[in-house]
Amino acid sequence: MDTIVTASEVTRTFGQVRAVDHVDLEIGAGAVLGLIGPNGAGKTTLLRTLLGLTDFEGTIDVLGADPRTERASLMEQVCFIADTAVLPRWMRVDQLIDYVSGTHPRFDRELAENFLRTTEVTPKRRIRQLSKGMMVQLHLALVMAIDARLLVLDEPTLGLDILFRKRFFEQLLNDYFDDERTIIISTHQVEEVQNILTEVMFMNHGQVILHKSMSAIEEEFVELHAVGDAVARAEGIPHVGKRSILGGKALIYEGIAAESLAPLGEIRTPSVSDLFVAKVGWETVHG
Amino acid sequence: MADQQSHRLSTLMQREFQEYRNSLLWTPLAIAAALAFVMLLSVLFANRISAMGDVILRVIMEDHAVHEVNITINIDDEETSVKRDYRIEQQEDAVDEREWDFSRGWSFKPDRESAEAKAVDDGAGGEDEEGDAGSLNPLLNMVHNFMLMVLLLVSANYLLGCLFNDRRDRSILFWKSMPVSEWQEVASKFMVAMLVAPAIFIAASVLAQVASTLLAMLLVWRMDKDPFDLVLSHIQFGSLLFNQVAGWLLTALWLAPVYAWLLLASAAARRSPFMVAIAPVIGLFVVESLFLGTEYVGNAVARHLPHGNGGGTGVGFYLHGPDWAAQDLAGLGLGLLFAAAALWVTVYLRRYRFEL
Repeated sequence: MDTIVTASEVTRTFGQVRAVDHVDLEIGAGAVLGLIGPNGAGKTTLLRTLLGLTDFEGTIDVLGADPRTERASLMEQVCFIADTAVLPRWMRVDQLIDYVSGTHPRFDRELAENFLRTTEVTPKRRIRQLSKGMMVQLHLALVMAIDARLLVLDEPTLGLDILFRKRFFEQLLNDYFDDERTIIISTHQVEEVQNILTEVMFMNHGQVILHKSMSAIEEEFVELHAVGDAVARAEGIPHVGKRSILGGKALIYEGIAAESLAPLGEIRTPSVSDLFVAKVGWETVHG
Repeated sequence: MADQQSHRLSTLMQREFQEYRNSLLWTPLAIAAALAFVMLLSVLFANRISAMGDVILRVIMEDHAVHEVNITINIDDEETSVKRDYRIEQQEDAVDEREWDFSRGWSFKPDRESAEAKAVDDGAGGEDEEGDAGSLNPLLNMVHNFMLMVLLLVSANYLLGCLFNDRRDRSILFWKSMPVSEWQEVASKFMVAMLVAPAIFIAASVLAQVASTLLAMLLVWRMDKDPFDLVLSHIQFGSLLFNQVAGWLLTALWLAPVYAWLLLASAAARRSPFMVAIAPVIGLFVVESLFLGTEYVGNAVARHLPHGNGGGTGVGFYLHGPDWAAQDLAGLGLGLLFAAAALWVTVYLRRYRFEL
């Protein structure tokens, strides 16, 4: 498997604040990495270091290039949606397509127009007249029509309603993703992406708390739903987190065989969001 | 590869014209159309509307007072119906052919010793009372000057906004997701201000000048004289155009550091590019005059700014013909060096310090 991104000891400070604190990272081709963290965890800053949008200490290699000095050439192979609503509002849709077509050698204009044909985003509309959902549709259509090897999505569905969000990820998975393409998604809506992720990475206070493949998570973490008397016994076993459920507690364990916990209650694989809350914890986030 | 690069550059420039369509494209065309319309009204109702009609009338009158014929026009405003009385007298002496050379004396020298500058400016100042009697130069100068003044204002506004507005509305994040380097971006904007926008304004100015020539011919024709003989045959359009285009090219060389500085301010500003552009210059000027008692900063800046030429046009620069021989090459070269440095800093800021 080719390595797409290698980052070593990456640190980015703003005054006294370390937005990204000695992060090491390696992402292989074909991975779909979910970057998850609370507000201010450093997700956006980390993504920006990978994209050459901000300075940093340490080393980063993206597709063999240093993003600090080779952003322009890198962008021929890397696409990103930095945020919702960053498309130039004064432009018309067709002007925007002209622009991408004129500046990006790997853009397939016909493909983008095909993606848009089924939407309400018509060529002569000004971007400022589009709803937020339509803007994201347009941006996604442009990005999907670029034959890139790495796609970086920073909160791509923030502020969209659930229909747009579902459609966004479905389209991404069905029309875009293949084994050669690598996607990094940072999002708060973990539940909506967890079924498309192959890897997950938790960040807090600029540091990586956890970075594992989804299969490793299934192997290493187990969630036990204990009710009644079993709760006290379950709590006696070292766990990484717990929360209340109807009539009992749900506890997440790391590195304990599921079979040994089975007598205490129902066993399942923890969801990414529950695991995140367990690992990062409410106190450390907001305390 | 080169093809792709030039295609990219033309796409970038096209983008600028889409964003600044009103100021870079419609403004010059609208002004040219408005000037032509005002001149048309002046010709049609020469007794009612003063400015342009007066100039045309005066030119024609002066023209014939000095050469060949003497035309006096009496317009009686008292009567409701317009009554005009024309009298045309033939002049005995033949006129020196050079009198008709419209390009003569159209170059002038700013930043020279004041006396010299004044002397030259008076010759080229445009609609100065004594200057160029007997030609349409003053009128055409006025049209061209006006267009260039608007161009300078529009360009300053464009340069201050072009690297700031996209940072304010965060669309810079989209631009940066495209494989366009900061150099290409800054260069395309600089080129638009230095060459492309002036080309459009000069083209519009030429259109307005052609319109004024035609309207002058119309006025002459209404006086029962031959417009081809009186007006058209004595205008050298070739040298007129050459002087205006070459005049701008030299102006652009002088202006380059100012334009680069405005781009830098646009890339550096967090709130107001205008303040970032102005404040350091004023600060340096004040500090220098307070502590050193010298005025190098002020002089250096003044040298590269359009300035009054004493001729009443409000803008004194190489608006018309260039005077290549009279150039202060050291000043010009230092300015270009400054421009290169400012563009380098602009690219740096655009690359690493773009967030507001």
